[in-house]
Amino acid sequence: MTETYTIEGGPVELHRSSFDVADFPLPTGREEDWRFTPLDRLRGLLDGGPSDGRLSWTTDLPEGVELTTVGAGDPYLRSVPKPVDRVGVLTLANATDGAVVLRVPANAEPSAPAVIRLAGNGGDVVWGHVILDIGANAQVSVVIEHSGSARYAGELSVLVGDGAKLKLVSVQGWDSDAVHVQHTGVRLGKDASIASTQITLGGDLVRFVETVEYTGPGGDAEMAGLYIADAGQHQEHRLFVDHSAPKCRSNVTYKGALQGEGAHTVWVGDVLIRATAEGTDTYEMNRNLVLTDGTRADSVPNLEIETGEIVGAGHASTTGRFDDEQLFYLQARGISEEEARRLVVRGFFAELIHKIGIPDLQDRLLAAIEAELGGEPEAAISAVTEENA
Amino acid sequence: MSTVSHPELEGIGRYEFGWADSDDAGATAQRGLSEAVVRDISAKKNEPEWMLNQRLKGLKLFAKKPMPTWGSDLSGIDFDNIKYFVRSTEKQATSWDDLPDDIKNTYDKLGIPEAEKQRLVAGVAAQYESEVVYHQINEELEKQGVIFVDTDTGLREYPELFQEYFGSVIPVGDNKFASLNTSVWSGGSFIYVPKGVHVEIPLQAYFRINTENMGQFERTLIIADEGSYVHYVEGCTAPIYSSDSLHSAVVEIVVKKNARVRYTTIQNWSNNVYNLVTKRATAAEGATMEWVDGNIGSKVTMKYPAIYLLGEHAKGETLSIAFAGEGQHQDAGAKMVHAAPHTSSSIVSKSVARGGGRTSYRGLIQVLEGSHHSASTVRCDALLVDTISRSDTYPYVDVREDDVAMGHEATVSKVSEDQLFYLMSRGMTEEEAMAMIVRGFVEPIARELPMEYALELNRLIELQMEGAVG
Repeated sequence: MTETYTIEGGPVELHRSSFDVADFPLPTGREEDWRFTPLDRLRGLLDGGPSDGRLSWTTDLPEGVELTTVGAGDPYLRSVPKPVDRVGVLTLANATDGAVVLRVPANAEPSAPAVIRLAGNGGDVVWGHVILDIGANAQVSVVIEHSGSARYAGELSVLVGDGAKLKLVSVQGWDSDAVHVQHTGVRLGKDASIASTQITLGGDLVRFVETVEYTGPGGDAEMAGLYIADAGQHQEHRLFVDHSAPKCRSNVTYKGALQGEGAHTVWVGDVLIRATAEGTDTYEMNRNLVLTDGTRADSVPNLEIETGEIVGAGHASTTGRFDDEQLFYLQARGISEEEARRLVVRGFFAELIHKIGIPDLQDRLLAAIEAELGGEPEAAISAVTEENA
Repeated sequence: MSTVSHPELEGIGRYEFGWADSDDAGATAQRGLSEAVVRDISAKKNEPEWMLNQRLKGLKLFAKKPMPTWGSDLSGIDFDNIKYFVRSTEKQATSWDDLPDDIKNTYDKLGIPEAEKQRLVAGVAAQYESEVVYHQINEELEKQGVIFVDTDTGLREYPELFQEYFGSVIPVGDNKFASLNTSVWSGGSFIYVPKGVHVEIPLQAYFRINTENMGQFERTLIIADEGSYVHYVEGCTAPIYSSDSLHSAVVEIVVKKNARVRYTTIQNWSNNVYNLVTKRATAAEGATMEWVDGNIGSKVTMKYPAIYLLGEHAKGETLSIAFAGEGQHQDAGAKMVHAAPHTSSSIVSKSVARGGGRTSYRGLIQVLEGSHHSASTVRCDALLVDTISRSDTYPYVDVREDDVAMGHEATVSKVSEDQLFYLMSRGMTEEEAMAMIVRGFVEPIARELPMEYALELNRLIELQMEGAVG
């Protein structure tokens, strides 16, 4: 495994994807894409066969959205974006039930978000493949909420048809012992758009890899993320946006806060603009707010550009703690330090929360952030995964 | 819009130092690397036992370490075909007239005696092939105790000081090319600035490769004692040959308490030189280290000047500028390691790629535990002049301490038709407009260069524009 990068391409260009497990040997921890992940805490997701573990599903589906199962072996399951690491390829191999497919017909515009709640109840490793198949010109919001305790390897395939618009929110509100490793493979058709928000609060280890590919011009990916890591938690978000079609756009905004001994967050944002992707417009941003001692924030934005004929490309990454001046300003106006800190953090995340556009979820998220700041991560988890909200 | 071509920029990277002198010394030099070659270099230099042992250790580690699999394509380097040591003149000259004509002509063409005559420099060293052939230092500085000699002389005449610091910043096994350098190093500068001494005008060194398939492995060691200041400037050129040469230097700098060192490089190797250099400085309490790094020439450059901020309130700054033309890959950047509280660093990188060239920024900011109240900012801007060139940014930030402020920002842009149109509507030709845009883009760094180098850089950009008129 020394040939991770070779000559012509940099690390970004050489992202691999495959349906064959042989293409992804067992990582040692030295590989570029595994070097931040504590492999010993993956507990069985890097190896092993099919299992009896399942998550319990509850759904809330508006009219026009249907949920079906496609059996293992169906060629449809190989028409989705390929897995990008060993966990992903094992997930497809071990998901003996096949995949659950949420299908939105062409031109449909369901009035309410489709909600999928996935709950773990401990026990065996769960291998799960979920496909969101959005027909041409449809417009829909999908919310996926995770809670409970699980060791969950997930492959989420997101197919957005020509001209369709998908709003996707994924909430990781796991119990503190959960392990969740997932690849979200997004494929955008011509003039299709996705506005995705990852909300990662719970779990012992959460590792998300999101990839975006474009099949025609006019695609638009708005990828956002919000994470709060508490003591001992490892939260990793990796993105790879592969601009291969002309006149597409991508914008990545991830913001995180860290508090407590051993809280570790990783953000890696890779963008490749291929020579064929003239007229690309891309920007990536990661901001980390460090709230206490003993945390670690890794932030790695990588950009490879093979054509000069672009609208714009850039990235920014900052890591810092509270701005003392802001605090001082607020305190000078009679606001207590605690309240001032709360305002600063709320302001930090506000931009992302308001963009979600699902009021009930926004309220729950605000409540969760309050609880996190109050030093009650469990209360935060129950606030955000509140089922009867 | 993409059909507009920019012939006026064709010449960036066009090479005007590409002549070759007659090459008797190089013709007889041995190719390839072996223990015998290393022992031979050491014997020719009458080195002490410990240095020979260091060299042999370097050779072993070089053989053991794998080639880097990241960065640029290094598969074109044929280590067996390289001449590791070429002695071109027996005696070091202290006046231009004593130099052999070939060498003198070379440096005349590069304009070095002019700079010296005009007292633009406080001292000059000129390295031709493996050894320093000319050396001169201002008498005044000598009286103040400033040492500025070539590294071989440094080892001979200041053995204790030398042994204390050699390999202290970049150990022999640091990386494959540092090991290689340790095993076959020759030439370079050895500088010691005593406590409190300010060297007001820069010390300069010129490195020239003349022999085909030559490997130049200079070794530079700079020690700035407490409260001192020195600015060291190096320029590098080579002839154009059909097969490749290798330049693999190691530069170690020790900046003591409250001292300040500025190190400026204008690397203008011809487009057949692999330039793989390890540069690192340590900055003690209150010290300031500045790298100004210009990469214009070479086929491949991999160079990431590093600063280890070891004392409280130490400060590091890197300004990096890179031009990549056809067939060139400039993989450059900077490393900052914050190892003490209240340390600060800043990196500004500007790159221009054209004609299918590739520029990469690769950086590392590391904040170790305990380095509270540290701050770092990184800014990288890349300008793409056409549609076939490429630009990459690989910054890396590793923060192990909460009380820090960290920022990184990068932009990649192309020369916009709007800008060109605006300037042309004001009566400029397209060439002039393009030159002005490129100059404006690199200006924040160009103004930090010593005047003659800033002029050189401007002239280079201008030259390319002129070339297009015909």
